[in-house]
Amino acid sequence: MTALPVAHSTFVIERELPASPRHAYRFWSEAALKQRWNECHPDWVIEESFDFRVGGIEAKRWRMADGSEQTFRALYFDIVPQQRIIYGFDMSFRGQKVSASLATVEFLPAGSQTRMKFTEQLAFLGEADAMRHRIAGTEVGFDRLVEVVASEAASLH
Amino acid sequence: MMEPQQLDRVFIALSDTGRRRMVERLSRGPATVKELAEPVNMRLPSALKHLKVLEEGGIVVSHKAGRTRTYSIQPDAFGAIDDWLRKRKASMNAAFDRLVMAMEEIPEEEAEK
Repeated sequence: MTALPVAHSTFVIERELPASPRHAYRFWSEAALKQRWNECHPDWVIEESFDFRVGGIEAKRWRMADGSEQTFRALYFDIVPQQRIIYGFDMSFRGQKVSASLATVEFLPAGSQTRMKFTEQLAFLGEADAMRHRIAGTEVGFDRLVEVVASEAASLH
Repeated sequence: MMEPQQLDRVFIALSDTGRRRMVERLSRGPATVKELAEPVNMRLPSALKHLKVLEEGGIVVSHKAGRTRTYSIQPDAFGAIDDWLRKRKASMNAAFDRLVMAMEEIPEEEAEK
């Protein structure tokens, strides 16, 4: 099957964190503190490594409840303690790459708190087959096609 | 954006009741030529011709495994990335909720000890 064209997108999430940038940064840089929030299903993790330094790699492998595996692999490009972290990472699902991203985390002082800005620029490589089937399902099949055609038709005028 | 000629092919592809029924069937999941031909009372060569029009319209894709050719709806790259983005954002937002909670549980003074 031919590969889908790569689609790109960027999203930003900003959060107020209840302590100084110095403290907030520790929750990204120290394994034990990062683990406290980074894991939504600690019981699914079957492999994990965390080497927080420029050039260091963070990797994780999960096995989900249905047995399918997911991986995350990151490389730290730039670290300015208490100010910013830049890393690149890819994610795969059932052995197929789904996306490759560049993430930038900025810590800005806001009074006694921290304004954290997370920016992810991602290249979407296409859904793994299992996910593709779901997308081709009734949820977004014919309806989406009609939508696309309608919007394309409207944009011609 | 689609080229006008591509748009013509989409409309031509969807201008036939039999082909629209095939698309409806495929929107429920992939199917073989035989599975697509039977419910619309088409012979296989005729079904193949119609499927070719749908494929040229960029509405369906096919792949061959052994002797069987299976058709499925062309995954819409934009729809798929929207879906993935929603998941990524939801998962990062949930992670950051946990980050705020963890920071409240371990205040600055305490972590300094």
